[in-house]
Amino acid sequence: MKRHCTVRLEPLGKKVEVPEGTPLKDVLFSYGVEFPCGGKGICGGCRVKVLEGDVSFDEHHRQLLKKLNIDDTSWRLACQSHVTGDVTLEIGQFETFILADSTPFHFQPREGYGIAFDVGTTTLVTQLIDLKAGEVTGVETAVNPQARYGADVVSRIEYAVLQKGREELTRLIRKKFATMVNRLIRRAGGVAPEKIVLVGNTVMHHLFCGFDLTPLSAYPFMAKNRDACHFTIEELELKTQDHTDIVFLPVLGSFVGSDILAGILATGMAESPEPLILVDLGTNGEIVVGNREKILCASTAAGPAFEGTNIDMGMRAATGAISSVNLEEGKVKTHVIGNEQAKGICGSGLIDAVAVLLETGKIDAGGKISGDEDRIPLTPEVYLTQRDIRELQLAKGAIATGLQILRESLGYRPEEIKNVYISGAFGTFIDLKNTQRIGLLKYPEEKIIKMGNTALLGAKMSLFENHDRIMDILQKTTHLSLETNPDFQDIFTENMMF
Amino acid sequence: MEDILEKLTIAVKRGKADKNSPYPPDLKGQDGADELTAEALKMGFSPDEVLQKALIKGMHLIGEDFSAGRAFVPEMLMAAKAMKAAMKHIQPFFKSGSVKQKGTVIMGTVQGDLHDIGKNLVAMMVEGAGWKVVDLGADTPFEKFKAALEENPGAIVGMSALLTTTMVNMKGITEKIKALNPETIVMVGGAPLTQEYCDKIGADFYSPDPQGATAYLDSLVH
Repeated sequence: MKRHCTVRLEPLGKKVEVPEGTPLKDVLFSYGVEFPCGGKGICGGCRVKVLEGDVSFDEHHRQLLKKLNIDDTSWRLACQSHVTGDVTLEIGQFETFILADSTPFHFQPREGYGIAFDVGTTTLVTQLIDLKAGEVTGVETAVNPQARYGADVVSRIEYAVLQKGREELTRLIRKKFATMVNRLIRRAGGVAPEKIVLVGNTVMHHLFCGFDLTPLSAYPFMAKNRDACHFTIEELELKTQDHTDIVFLPVLGSFVGSDILAGILATGMAESPEPLILVDLGTNGEIVVGNREKILCASTAAGPAFEGTNIDMGMRAATGAISSVNLEEGKVKTHVIGNEQAKGICGSGLIDAVAVLLETGKIDAGGKISGDEDRIPLTPEVYLTQRDIRELQLAKGAIATGLQILRESLGYRPEEIKNVYISGAFGTFIDLKNTQRIGLLKYPEEKIIKMGNTALLGAKMSLFENHDRIMDILQKTTHLSLETNPDFQDIFTENMMF
Repeated sequence: MEDILEKLTIAVKRGKADKNSPYPPDLKGQDGADELTAEALKMGFSPDEVLQKALIKGMHLIGEDFSAGRAFVPEMLMAAKAMKAAMKHIQPFFKSGSVKQKGTVIMGTVQGDLHDIGKNLVAMMVEGAGWKVVDLGADTPFEKFKAALEENPGAIVGMSALLTTTMVNMKGITEKIKALNPETIVMVGGAPLTQEYCDKIGADFYSPDPQGATAYLDSLVH
């Protein structure tokens, strides 16, 4: 029989007993630790510090730590480790920021309850709504359990298609969905929802509904099935009334999913006489431009820079992250979330830092750090590297290019756009003036509206709608592939500059 | 006399295509690669001298800056435009045979992938290093590589991919190219690639930057 070992987890203060040889990944995952690179040992995101005891490691593991500049006397990569004895670990990762939504909205009161469920690539949020009062009466949030197989949609596709993990990913998300919804219902005293609406990007849609992702893995990146998907309570193992209407809203095209469809609903774009813009500053950088006549959407390969990934000292917007930077009497001042010592920098801090450094001339219009330096300190602990600035140039260039191509395709001048809505967790922290300074959103501050989680808001609004309004949006919206535009490279080049 | 070649080197490196181009702002109104190349030829420099002592040198300098992080994609693409403007004047001499290129490199972004800026950067560096480049564009299947190899026997093949999901298509294409002729050299590159992956699929060379690719190609002819 295998020996059991005690694993203590700090700062959670948890103690678990596991058989010797258990992968540390399995132990930590149930506590919400993420594995951004999918457990390949290349990102260092799952690092743990050994406070007491030891986690033995091999030469390969040592090489990986060396490559990441992580001290191997006390640190280990959880994804590469097994429990080899009693041990106390400090989890290096910070709490994930999950964005729920409390935006008021117009609605037609109805009888009963509804549930809105936002299937995010990273996080899951669900709310129970009293349809008569339009009030949120319950919230559940969680980390997407698929995250252990990679942080972004491309790594999920890779796992599903190349490693034949599609069924496992479907099983994981459906199980978590059932747990969250059943708990939401139970906590509200066993109310019976009339309707459950799910939204998410195309990959989340396919994985939840159980569709093949192969067509999305290569050009022309077509979704296998764009339709809304209906489920019975038995299929999803929900404990509620039989006739509950459960629907995952339809995909708009390619990588643009129902999270963006919900966003269009939330902004009222399909009813607006003036043109509006909706932009999601996540890894897929979805962009929508249009009005009640015609709507164009696209996804841009913005990459994860705004989420703090691929940035040398980048991190999510959580305790210890520099979330804003400004200039006070010529001196660089930083704000750190939680007023702690700075541990890293998140997307909003990155934008601010670059804007400030452009102002002081430490970075030129091409993005180069002046002089021979290749890093700029922001605090004694946190610095920005030349490569970080390049990552930001690619990300902001991709978004600005998408915005320009869609707007020009519809024949609008920038001043004709009435409002620009920013969705997503990242948007809530950013300084609007600086988004303009670095050329990410070239619109005046007063036109830009931070809208938070538009996917969840739109999902909630759709609980009050019949299918007509969704159909109306689908009919008006066309997906555009940006890379096929002959001027793409020139526009992108121009938009990469500051 | 040599002054003009130096000016041309700078025009290529800085991405000044012609007199009218507004980029870079500090060289506004000055002669660009287009005018300077025409003038150098008129002054009696041989096309080969112009190529070796100015154009290749300018491209090499911008390539070095890129590798060191001093220059980025926009500067590289502007330099490519300047190079193209200069090459218009040199191209006729390739055809007449008075200027020799080092060899032919067939390049394409792999089947399934549309992202070709990275491949374009490498293509311009390779061309700027004195090679003939046959650019097959994006989403390139094996059949296109095969047809290009038939037209350019002995050519070297370069392939790129941006996504992990399309990178895997390199394996099949490399195998098929090697099955046609095991001597054909295959170079691979792109964000998700590693030396390990290159070795695994039986490709001959991998470099994380364009500078490495031109250095490798030059090592083949020297």
